[in-house]
Amino acid sequence: MSDALLNPANPANVFACRNLHVFVKDGDQEKEIVRGVDLTVQRGQKHALMGPNGSGKSTLAAALMGHPSYRVEGEIWLNGERVDALEPHERARRGMFLSFQYPVAVPGVTVANFLRASLAARRGTEIPVRAFRQELNEAFATMGIDPSFITRYLNDGFSGGEKKKLEILQMLLLKPAFSLLDETDSGLDIDALKVVSDGINQASGPDNGLLLVTHYQRILNHVQPDVVHVFMSGRLVRTGGMELVTALEERGYDWLTDEAAVAEGSRT
Amino acid sequence: MAETTAPAMAPARPALDETLLAALAAAAGDESGGLTRRLAAQVRYEAAETPSRVRHLWRFTDPARLLPMNLTAVTGAPGDVSHTLAPSVAGAAATIDLWPGLPPVVALSDDLPAGQLTVVSAGETAGSPALAADELFAALNEAAWNTGIGLAVADGARLPGPIHVRVHASAAASLPRLRLVVGRNAEAMLVEQHLDGGPETRVTGHTAITVGDGSRVRHAIVQVWGQGTNGHLSVSTKAGADADVLTVFGVFGGDEAKLEVRTDLAGKGSRSEIVGVTLVTGKQHGDVHTTHRHLAEHTSSRIDFKAVAAEHARSTYTGLIRIEDQAHHCEAYQENRNLLLSDRARADAIPELEIHNQEVSCSHGATIAPVDPEQLFYLASRGLEHGEAVSLVVGGFLENTMAKLPDDVRTMAEAFVGPRLAAIREGSA
Repeated sequence: MSDALLNPANPANVFACRNLHVFVKDGDQEKEIVRGVDLTVQRGQKHALMGPNGSGKSTLAAALMGHPSYRVEGEIWLNGERVDALEPHERARRGMFLSFQYPVAVPGVTVANFLRASLAARRGTEIPVRAFRQELNEAFATMGIDPSFITRYLNDGFSGGEKKKLEILQMLLLKPAFSLLDETDSGLDIDALKVVSDGINQASGPDNGLLLVTHYQRILNHVQPDVVHVFMSGRLVRTGGMELVTALEERGYDWLTDEAAVAEGSRT
Repeated sequence: MAETTAPAMAPARPALDETLLAALAAAAGDESGGLTRRLAAQVRYEAAETPSRVRHLWRFTDPARLLPMNLTAVTGAPGDVSHTLAPSVAGAAATIDLWPGLPPVVALSDDLPAGQLTVVSAGETAGSPALAADELFAALNEAAWNTGIGLAVADGARLPGPIHVRVHASAAASLPRLRLVVGRNAEAMLVEQHLDGGPETRVTGHTAITVGDGSRVRHAIVQVWGQGTNGHLSVSTKAGADADVLTVFGVFGGDEAKLEVRTDLAGKGSRSEIVGVTLVTGKQHGDVHTTHRHLAEHTSSRIDFKAVAAEHARSTYTGLIRIEDQAHHCEAYQENRNLLLSDRARADAIPELEIHNQEVSCSHGATIAPVDPEQLFYLASRGLEHGEAVSLVVGGFLENTMAKLPDDVRTMAEAFVGPRLAAIREGSA
């Protein structure tokens, strides 16, 4: 990557973080979960972040979105602008999006009302009912969700697959500049995985970027990443392309554990 | 719970005498003979003990703060009924305004067939539900009610629309009394709306409903008093054999307000459902009690009460299910959910079960919780500001209970809930 592209303010970069550390309360102490991450996503790029269970992948994704449980040090950039001091809703309005691993249910709030409020917040203007309905119908058709879901309560009693489809449906509607997709593939059967992947591909374009957090290769066969990172013990230990995914499938993470340990040793 | 109760001091009760009671009876249009009943009630009122604050029913609320400060023979004048909180009920069979110190103002619909609905004594207590309100308040209302009406629905009648009663707390001491007697195999709906009231207003209200065998009655009581008003409202209902009763309540207004809803399942196969919503803010104190008493076999009851407390407000709930020994094969369910919108808001929930036979199915559930921060983060991640997210969650919390309300009642409740949700959205609540 050229030096100019390493500048997080470069308009070619849709997202960047610099020297990012994430801490979580642990009794009276703080525990460091993310231990210094530098990441740059250019417009039009898809990045994959792979790592074993408990490596801190989900913490990283939630902290980037501004989850109040975490204390963050370092810089977060979105569209050439520092956003690490902004509230989560402000980051969302500027085009950051998080697809949750476990989307929460909000009983009593219909999918339609929620989506209308979200769209209005993202676009900064109320959407006329007729236009909203048409947009909604198209997105529901794309994601293969029954239109009757618009009157259901948000994620309330939804199956795992239905929740994940609704997350990606929101990605399609909100048209984020940068999406964090936290294990969007987990709990999906083969058919649902295909639908969800197609949705992600449809929502992706030359102007936006995404970071796909996953354990597994299978979604990466549908959503081809441009860059693959391996994340272990709170750090990016390796960055490469699809060949890295193949290597992980064949060898697991252990060989990287050794290398990470070596890298750690050489650093001190 | 580490609640301590001070020894009850005898509250200053307003004094009653025959001259006053006669004047109250005359102004309210009470029938001849009404005074005799009032004098008998006066004796009970004076003998009644101050409710014990050691018992659950009054543990959280001081009865002295709800009693009228003094009683005079007010001569009321009808006020303005174009208030936004007093929407008319579409297609009402009867619209009745109760102003303290005045006879009831009754407007009947032209669609009401002759003989279906008649005016009867408001003060009569014979045949009324045995489960009365707390004796002090019950006797005070019986002796000194200063506005009221009694209505009878004929056997087999199907009223073409609801009976809409607007109860105005327009006097410093407002004591409304309502009585509804529904015959056999009839259908009726009563929408009772308690409104008006300002600083230093005190209300002591009572509603008695008798539901005949095989009848279906829906009763809504919506309290939207103005700021500064304190009061005690009680509802006693008796359901006959195979009767079906729905009682809906909304407690929204006033400063300190207690509502007691008691239903006797007196006839075999009778059913009762109580659905209620409270939303209190500022320094409001809302106190709700419900009793379902099963006296007969194959009776069933359900309670669903949702309370939201914001700012410094407090909502308290005590709910009793009592199943008598002869009442076999009963089903009873009670659910109370409380949502707290600030660190300083409080809610109390005390369910009580008294079950005197084994052949019953009875359960209850109560929760008190702040808004789930994960819900708020999810909504924030979609661009919703804090206030907007909270108001969505609160609206959702109330939704499945509000959905059980008859349309007219829901409109009435929303006229009050809507602005409060908007205030939450704007961050001012």
